[in-house]
Amino acid sequence: MIRRAVLLVVAVACGRPETIEPSRAVPFGGYSELALDPTPKGHRRMVPPEVYLRAYLTWFGGLSPAQVFQKARGRKLFDQWADYLVALGLPDYAIDAPRAAQSNTVMLAAMGRLGEALCVRSVEHDLRGRPDKRAVFAFEPIANPSRDEFASRFDTLHRTFLSYPARLAPADRVDRFYALYRSVAARHASGLLSADESGWAAVCAALVQHPETGLY
Amino acid sequence: MRRRDALKLLAGGAAAVSLHPLLRAAGSQPDDFFIFIHAAGGWDVTLWSDPRNERRGITEPATTATLETGALRYWRNRADSFEPLATKGHVLGPAIGGLYDLADRLTIINGIAMNTVSHPDGIAYSCTGRHRTGGTLPESSIDVLVANERGLAQMMPGVSVRFPSAFVGTHLDRRAVPLRIADVGALTHSFERSPDYLDDADRTAITAVLSEEATALARSSTHPATYEQLANQQQSLAKLLTGDFTHAFSRKQLESAYPQFNYRGRAHGKQAVVGAFAVEAIRRNVVRCVSFALGQLDTHGANYRTHGTVLQELFDLVAAIVKLLDTTPHPTSPTARLSERTHILVVSEFCRTPQLNTNGGRDHYPNNSALVISPRFRGGRSFGSTDPDQLLPLDFGKFADGARPLAPPDVLATFLGAFGINPRRYMRDGEIVKALLA
Repeated sequence: MIRRAVLLVVAVACGRPETIEPSRAVPFGGYSELALDPTPKGHRRMVPPEVYLRAYLTWFGGLSPAQVFQKARGRKLFDQWADYLVALGLPDYAIDAPRAAQSNTVMLAAMGRLGEALCVRSVEHDLRGRPDKRAVFAFEPIANPSRDEFASRFDTLHRTFLSYPARLAPADRVDRFYALYRSVAARHASGLLSADESGWAAVCAALVQHPETGLY
Repeated sequence: MRRRDALKLLAGGAAAVSLHPLLRAAGSQPDDFFIFIHAAGGWDVTLWSDPRNERRGITEPATTATLETGALRYWRNRADSFEPLATKGHVLGPAIGGLYDLADRLTIINGIAMNTVSHPDGIAYSCTGRHRTGGTLPESSIDVLVANERGLAQMMPGVSVRFPSAFVGTHLDRRAVPLRIADVGALTHSFERSPDYLDDADRTAITAVLSEEATALARSSTHPATYEQLANQQQSLAKLLTGDFTHAFSRKQLESAYPQFNYRGRAHGKQAVVGAFAVEAIRRNVVRCVSFALGQLDTHGANYRTHGTVLQELFDLVAAIVKLLDTTPHPTSPTARLSERTHILVVSEFCRTPQLNTNGGRDHYPNNSALVISPRFRGGRSFGSTDPDQLLPLDFGKFADGARPLAPPDVLATFLGAFGINPRRYMRDGEIVKALLA
C-alpha cells in the first residue's frame, strides 16, 4: 500500500507540468456607469512655506539659499534669511514658533520682497546676457511689444511659474498682465532698468506671487 | 398670530433684554484696542500677585542664592524674608515694578487652576482655554478671537510678536489670521523695498493685479475662501507698502520716539521695543490687537536675584505702555485717551513652586495668576485665592459644574464677555465671571 502511494506521488511529481493557456484580459465592469464626482472636496490650502521657497529657488535657476543671499543683496533688495524666518511662515525653533498654515500680509510682503529681488536680478542676468544662459526669461526680448508679441513671451513665464500654458488660464489674464507691463514700462523711461526690463520685472514679480503658485 | 407664537416671541425678547446687557453695552464702542502679553516661562506669583514669606537661606544644602534680591526696587526686608506691599485692594510682591504706581487700575486674578506643569500645554491652556490634544491646539487663541470679532476692518487685525497665536477652525474670518513675526524689525524688513528698480506705483499696480486675479479665481471656485483671503491680504499689502510704516516701525525710529522703555534691560533688552511698537501701531489705528511674548522666566535657580528682576522688567514695560496710553489721544475719538479704550491682558503658562529648591529657585507648579488692565474690569482688586501653605487654587465660587477654582477658560470667557463677545461662539469651556467686570 505504501509502495503504491509512493509510486503515485513520484508519477505525479515527474509528470508533465500543467500549463495555463493565455487568455484575453477582460476589463472589469461597471466603470462606465460609475458616477465620479470631480469637484474639489475642501478649501485650497497653502503649500508648506518650505515647498514654496524651494519652488522660488528652483524657478530662478536652482539656487541655494546662500546663493540667493549673494545674488539678491545690494541696493536694499534683500537682507539675511534670519530676518525673515517667521515672517516667511517657516518654523523657528529658536523661539518655538510653529510653521504657518495660513498666509498673512506680512508673509506676502516678505515673499514679495524676495520675489522682486530675484526677478530684478534675473532681468539683469537674462535680458542682458547670453541667450543660452537665460533661466527665467527664456525668450528674445523686443522693445515695446504688441499684445500678441507680449502674449507669446508671457506664456513662457506662465509655464515656468504656474506650470501650464497661459491659453488655459482665465481669458482676461494675458490682458491684465499686458496692462501691468505697459503701465510699468511707461513709468520707467530711464533708470537702472530700461522701460521694457522694468515691465518684465513687474510681470515676473506678480507671477511669482500669483494666488495659484502657493496653493494646492 | 397664535397665542403660543406670541408668548414665544415675548419670552425671547425678555430673555434677550435680561441676558445680554453686557453685549448691548459693549457693542457701542467698536474702536477698542487690545494688547495681549504672554510672560513666557512660567512666572513666580509669590513675587508679585500672591506674595508668600518664604524664608530665605534655609535650604539644604546651605546656599546664599536665596539671600540675593538683585535689583528689586520694592524689596523691603523683614527678618528673613520680604515685606509684602499692601495697597488699597491688593497685597503685592516685591517684583511688581512700575505697576505698583498703577495698583488701583490692576485687576489681578489669583488661584487659577492649571492642571498642568508642561510649558506647551500651559501656554495652550492660558491662551486658548483648552489643553493640547496630542500636539495640536483645539481652539484659537484669545488674540485671534478678538481680532476676528473686532479687527476685520483694520489694516492689520492682529500682529503677533512671538505670542502663541493660534488660528484654528473654519468658522473664523481669514482676515483674522495673525501677522506672526519673531521681531518687530521683521515688519520693516518685509515691507521695505529697494527704491532703485520698481517704485510704489509699480507695486500698487502689481498688488492690484494679484488682488484681481485672486478675486477672479474666487468667483470660479467651489471653495472661494482661500482666494478671497489672498485678495484681502493683497489689498492690505498695497496700503502697507505705500505708507510710511517701514520708517515708523523701524527699531531705530521706535526707540527714538519712545525713550520710556528700557532697551538695555538684562532680561528683555532690545525686545522691549515691542512695547513701543504696540503704542505706535495703536496710535496710528492700523491694528486692533497687538500680542507679544517676553520670556526668560523659566528660571530654576537664584529666584530672588534672577526671576524677580525679569518680572520687574516685564511689569515696568507694561507700566510704560499704560502711562503712554494715558497721554495719547484716541485716533478716532480725539476727546478720549487711548487708555480709556485699550485693554491689556497678561498671562503666563503656570506659576512656580511655593518652596525653594536646593538651587534657591522654584520649579513648575499648577497654579497661576492673570493680570488685566482695562476700564471694563474692576481695577484695584485681586480676585481668587490660594491655599496659604501649598499655594494651590481654592474654590472661587459656584459655576455651572459646581464649586471649583477659576480656570483659564473662565478668564478668557470673561475677557470676551466684557466686550460683548459671546464666548460660546468660540470656546467650549469657561464662564463669564461678572464679579470681575466693572
